[in-house]
Order: sequence, then structure tokens, then C-alpha cells
Amino acid sequence: MSACLVFLLSSFFSSPVWAGELIDKVKETTDKIIAIVSNPEMKKAEKAAERKRLIREAIDERFDWDEMAKRTLARHWAGRSDAEKKEFVALFGKLLERTYLDKVEGYSGEKVNYEDETIDGQYGTVKVGIITTQDKSISVFYRLKKIGSDWFVYDISIEGVSLINNYRNQFNSIITKSSFQNLMERLKSNVEEGK
Amino acid sequence: MKKFNIEMGVGLFMVIGILCLAYISIRMGKLEIMGGNTYDIKAVFSNSGGIKTGSSVVIAGVDVGRVKEISLSEYQANIVLTIPVEIKIQEDAIASVKTKGLIGEKYIDITPGGSEEILKPGDRLRETQPAIDMEQLISNFVFGKI
Repeated sequence: MSACLVFLLSSFFSSPVWAGELIDKVKETTDKIIAIVSNPEMKKAEKAAERKRLIREAIDERFDWDEMAKRTLARHWAGRSDAEKKEFVALFGKLLERTYLDKVEGYSGEKVNYEDETIDGQYGTVKVGIITTQDKSISVFYRLKKIGSDWFVYDISIEGVSLINNYRNQFNSIITKSSFQNLMERLKSNVEEGK
Repeated sequence: MKKFNIEMGVGLFMVIGILCLAYISIRMGKLEIMGGNTYDIKAVFSNSGGIKTGSSVVIAGVDVGRVKEISLSEYQANIVLTIPVEIKIQEDAIASVKTKGLIGEKYIDITPGGSEEILKPGDRLRETQPAIDMEQLISNFVFGKI
């Protein structure tokens, strides 16, 4: 009897759902996107443009594009004019949209487990496990920054590989070898290709 | 007089030999005898990949510092890095555990950031990337196919 009680109590306290302020923020955006991509009405070919727009809107609410662009350009950011910065932020957003939207649209019922969150002053991380249809877990870390009273994502690490670090290294090597203008041209042609 | 010269020579030879030995052991052991021209920063990694005290800290492929201390806290690797004072590390720099070649030794690679905020001695480098587990990646690839 007592063993049964202990079991019941322990299962009550070790609830697998871990809720917190940051997890709520990430979950809200993820749920919105899942609702869009799993809506049968939205899967129709003629709705493709609207679907893309809705996903982009949901992502825009939670992602801080300025911070992401600044972090990827790193030491090359400070020397840019305001117009160049603005153009780069827009192009970088489009590049990510082109690279990741197809993957998001390929959603086929993967489960998302919100595992943990940590807050350290103005910064926080959310650990998420994406369970594929083959029961493999992919670990994803969202890094967030507090701006005002809300939290915004500025980096995502998938299986330990950071998105910002990946682009930071690529952009740095292009700028060092040629110029910022060359990077912009390459980004433009890359974004154009995907249209 | 002649005997005295030989004794002096042998003594001198011994002293030079001992100095050479001391120099080699300091260089080989990567000991810091001239403290003060370096500073320490902390970094927390979810997987240190078996990095060791004395491993290199590299920026743009250039060896700039050393791993000073490794400890475990809350099942994460707490690593202290020693960096020369003339090298500034930005608050948004990213530290990642990398391997020289496929099976080579581990080192810490720092990609400089663009923030105006510079890390002070004792500060924590927030952005870190753990070591990539090749075995895990290969097994994901192999078994993920089934």
C-alpha cells in the first residue's frame, strides 16, 4: 500500500511537462506554426503564398532579426552604414526564410518536448527535444534575450551546431577574402534563386 | 691552476645544463611563471568532449591561450580559459570545442563577436557550442534510416 502511494506521489511530482516563462514563449510560436502547417486547408497549392506569409509572421513575432544579423556579421557590423545594416537585416531574414521554411513546411507530425529553461539575467535558453517520426530525438536549444518585458530568440543550436556561428564563420570568410559588397551580392543572388 | 679551470668548466657546464632542463620543463609543461599578463574567463559547455587542462584556445587558427581549469557542476563542464590581456573577447563571442582532424586532440575555438561589451577577468562567455559527437552523428545517420 505504502509502495503504491510512493509511486503515485512520485509520478505526480515528476510531471514530464516543464512549464516556465520562456518555454511558454517558444511554445506559443511553435504551436502557431504547427497549426498553420498542419491545417489541411492551408496545404492546398493555391494557398502556398498565404501559408508562407503566415509562418513568416509567426516567426517575426518571436525572432529578433536585428540582433541575429548583428551577431552573424560580428566585427564587420560596426563599420557598416545604417542603410547597409538595414539592407543586410532584410536579406538575412529572407535567407533564413528560404533555407528553413521548406523544412518547416515538411512537418509531418513530429512531437516537440519542452525539456528545460534557464534564465541568466537578460539572457535565457530553452531546451527542446524534437521527436522524429522514427522516434529519434533531435536536441534544439533556443537562445533568447529580454528586450523590454518580452523575450526574443537570437540563436538556435541544433545538435550543438549554432546557426549564428555557422553564418558568422561563412560571412567572415567571404568579407575577409573579398568585400561586404560581394557578400551582399551573393546573398541577393541566393535569395533570388529560391523564389 | 689547471685543475681549477677544469672544475670551473664542469661546474659551468652543469649550471647551463640545469637551466636548459628548467627551461624545457616550463615550455613542455606549459607553465605560467610570469603571471599578470593574462586574464581568466569562464565558459560552460554541455559536453566538453574530453578536453584537458593545458589544451589550446584558438582564434582564427592562431594559438592564443590555454584551458586552465575544468570542473563539473550540475552535470555541465565548467571551463576556465586563460587569455593574454592584449586579446579582447567580446560578450557575444562564441566558444566551441573542436577536434584537430578527425581523431586529433581537442581545442577551444573562439569566433569573435561584434558587441562593444568586452569580457572582464572572471566574466562568463555565454555563447558556447559543445563538442560534436561523431559516433552519435554516425549512429543517428545509420539507425535513423531504419
